[in-house]
Amino acid sequence: MPSPAELIGRAVRFIGDILGASSLRFETGPTLVVLGVLLVLLQLVARPVSRWVSSDAGGLTSVGRAMALAAESGTDVVVSLGNAGLSRATDALARLQTLAALPALSHVARASARSGVPLRVLTADPLTMVVAGATVEAGHETTETRERRGRSRIVYVGEGRPAAAGLVMTTRAHPAAAFAIGSFREEATLSLEGLRGSAGTLTAGTAEPAQVSSVLLAGGALIGPAAYQVAADLRADPTERTMVMAANRLILLAVAAIVAGTLLTAAGVIDPGAILAGAVGE
Amino acid sequence: MRRPVIAALVVVVGVLLLADFLVVNESLGEIAGLLVDAVILVAAGAALAGVASLAWRRGRDLWQRRGDPVGAIMVLTGIGAMLVAGLRPGAEGALDSAVSWLIGALLVPIAATLFGLLFVTTLSAARRSLASGNRDAILLVAAAMATLVLLLPLGGQVGTWLGEAAGWTLEVPVGAAFRGLLLGVAILTALFAARTLLGIGATDD
Repeated sequence: MPSPAELIGRAVRFIGDILGASSLRFETGPTLVVLGVLLVLLQLVARPVSRWVSSDAGGLTSVGRAMALAAESGTDVVVSLGNAGLSRATDALARLQTLAALPALSHVARASARSGVPLRVLTADPLTMVVAGATVEAGHETTETRERRGRSRIVYVGEGRPAAAGLVMTTRAHPAAAFAIGSFREEATLSLEGLRGSAGTLTAGTAEPAQVSSVLLAGGALIGPAAYQVAADLRADPTERTMVMAANRLILLAVAAIVAGTLLTAAGVIDPGAILAGAVGE
Repeated sequence: MRRPVIAALVVVVGVLLLADFLVVNESLGEIAGLLVDAVILVAAGAALAGVASLAWRRGRDLWQRRGDPVGAIMVLTGIGAMLVAGLRPGAEGALDSAVSWLIGALLVPIAATLFGLLFVTTLSAARRSLASGNRDAILLVAAAMATLVLLLPLGGQVGTWLGEAAGWTLEVPVGAAFRGLLLGVAILTALFAARTLLGIGATDD
């Protein structure tokens, strides 16, 4: 039986053999750059809440108001998760937007569960239906309102992007508010206009650069990266948001003071050294 | 960390794929290929499970007479038609002529009809945005009008100048905005994917 030292020796030899049989795919420089970028990404990954920026681009802080309006008028609230889904034959960028929309759905689902407002979730993919159903279910469990779950519906709008657009354009329901976040591709204008025409208010967002114009025309504000960032900006605690905004303003003031001081010094108006430490030789 | 086993699995797989990306090694390449194949299999299985779940749900709705019966019948008929066309004895699966007919003669024309509405809908959206006084939308419509003028098919020196201006607009300001958006989307896509896989999420309650 080998001793622990022998085992360690064999393991080191095995790793050495593997390393000896390998070679770098790129030069040393590009390899270090790739690893450096990954390190920066890992640092960002570890912080899921935005640190320096606090915004409400999607207007999701006003979800409560939308729920109050829905409860008052006896209507429902619609969340559209786009038409890319999770298992449909489309690219990864589009599918990932469906996942990015789930935190927003979760946020709206909790608000609707608390308010007793029925939620209607539109999806174009069977697998997304299951995930959306679980998200709505979790919202009711978190708020301990399982008895209201039966009032909310997950609607499969059919296969393909046109089916999703066709449904929202022909529906007769008038929800108090609609949230459309995800990939809509070329039918974005059809889908968003359909929702905008029927719903009281619409929050739209997509990470498709080509569909920015559709989102802008629909009055939405989650454009490009903002569609992913919205999850980090969902904060229940207003104090946290206020602190971030106050810190941002202080940073801006400090930067403005540094820029102004540099310009005045460069123009010869003031001498910061003389002001702070006294003139040399005095 | 809510799901340590899944997170550990993701880290191990991620490190292996990263190592394969950076280092040329036969064994490592085989392991990475195996992992990618496994992921494709899982995704295919999940898609199949999703379709089965949809059919089960719609079938149950119909059986229990709840929800939208017409929609349920349409979904089940559609699934059945595609399955029969592609899986009947002697069929060639997704490449079968019956499947191609269902797509080419039914799905594509319906989609094209809806897509044809885009022109009218875009004009309607622009009109509504201008009426509501949305600042961003007004800027967008103004830019669209300016681009329309630049793209007018005029001849002579004016036409050449407009064409050059249109090309410059596309290459410089539009290109810059698009690349900025693409960069931002790419960075946040990578971040969001990593956070999702590792189960790291913002606390929202």
